[in-house]
Amino acid sequence: MRHRCVIRSVCHFLVGAAWLLLPTTSLAENPGDEHVKVELVSENEAIVPHHQLRLGIRFDLQEGWHAYWLNPGDSGEPPRIEWRLPAGFQANSIQWPYPTRVSTPPFVDYGYEHQVLLSVVIRTPSGLKEGTTEKVIANVHYLICREVCIPGQKQLVLELPVKDHGTASSNALLFESTRRQLPKPIPEGWKISATSTGDEFRLRLRIGKVIGSPQFFPLEPEQIENAAPQNVTATPGGLDLHLKKSSHLLKSISRIKGVIVVAGTAYLVDVPILQSSGRGPVQSKHN
Amino acid sequence: MKRILLSSLAVATVLAGLSYGQKVGELAPDFKATDSNGQMHQLSEYRGKYVVLEWHNNGCPYTRKHYESGNMQRLQKEWTSRGVIWFTVISSAPGQQGYVTAQQENEYLKRMNAVPTAALLDRQGDVGRLYAAKTTPHMFIINPDGVLIYDGAIDSKATTDQSDIATAANYVSQALGEAMAGKPVSAPTSRPYGCSVKYTH
Repeated sequence: MRHRCVIRSVCHFLVGAAWLLLPTTSLAENPGDEHVKVELVSENEAIVPHHQLRLGIRFDLQEGWHAYWLNPGDSGEPPRIEWRLPAGFQANSIQWPYPTRVSTPPFVDYGYEHQVLLSVVIRTPSGLKEGTTEKVIANVHYLICREVCIPGQKQLVLELPVKDHGTASSNALLFESTRRQLPKPIPEGWKISATSTGDEFRLRLRIGKVIGSPQFFPLEPEQIENAAPQNVTATPGGLDLHLKKSSHLLKSISRIKGVIVVAGTAYLVDVPILQSSGRGPVQSKHN
Repeated sequence: MKRILLSSLAVATVLAGLSYGQKVGELAPDFKATDSNGQMHQLSEYRGKYVVLEWHNNGCPYTRKHYESGNMQRLQKEWTSRGVIWFTVISSAPGQQGYVTAQQENEYLKRMNAVPTAALLDRQGDVGRLYAAKTTPHMFIINPDGVLIYDGAIDSKATTDQSDIATAANYVSQALGEAMAGKPVSAPTSRPYGCSVKYTH
């Protein structure tokens, strides 16, 4: 529903006043609003010329609810952001923190509970003038689920001043802790390989001694059974992680891509798959 | 009397196979299930025809996308008019979203102008688990030889937005069209998208 403004200046004043009170303004109401708070936040309180700007969409979810990772797993949908940026600004893609397995037997989704920050680096143009303000708009589409799923859409607005120096915003600590949850390149000295054997992919991790069980999150859907346990067997110099192939995987694949979480740190995996028999994948039969 | 008892139980019986989940290219497992009019259906009775299974939950925003736009009804109408058997399957357990009584389902079908061959009430989730139905919607196609030829999403755009339907590739129509023309199904699997099926715990 759109309200008509009889006296335009009054409306402009009201809208302006609302923005003064709330730097992040939501322009849409959703049935799921009581279960999630979605905000557009900045690491810094100002835009500093010649420095990249780090913004993010912050989700605060009520207990029991979850939002989704890039590959949502057995159900659901990842959030999407459409940016409307000032001239010369450019948004990179979302930096996805590693997810958790959200289990509702017999399914497993990959997502986030409680709180997540989807951060995005924004490149700013040269020639920004100190003392001006810039307005950033993010149109966010998302799905949250508990026993039921509720889609949402929000237009979020953030106005930031241009200054010669920046001060950390109230969300800076969240940006900092989120950076530790982003997947890193595989450390020097580690070796990860993948083999296709029968109805599983075996990830061989030569990474030394590991405390706890690593978890693998596939970037592509329908390659592994999300809900299958990821069994670990010890090997000299590391361990093997056993991933059950998806029943939807009808052709052999040449690479496996994903994120592996080892002792609370996530690493990017992108390795070729070796066929164990040398004749292509072995078809398994269950009976 | 016996008939009343049967329909009030509205049981779904799994006849064959204890394995979980199906593979495209293999024989689709047989099942028996009761529809919203109390009639029993057995998959193997429909050999010689194409059968579509459509997992359904009337409260799920993804299901609503395809019903409130009329997309699902159009598909049901088009393909049943070409001899396809179309089963809407409801595996929501009592108390869960999408659970309906037979009467509620009949009212829903009428209100939405939905025209599946039948709506199967699978409240124990036996048929759903047999096919490893994950989401609503989740679509399966079985060919006249009883072989599973499609397992996946309804279309290529995994959103709740009705405006995406027009530009999405509809995998069900694509698979049925190709199979009926004697061609191999070019996309026999895809990631089904939607809400998780609300099985009994």
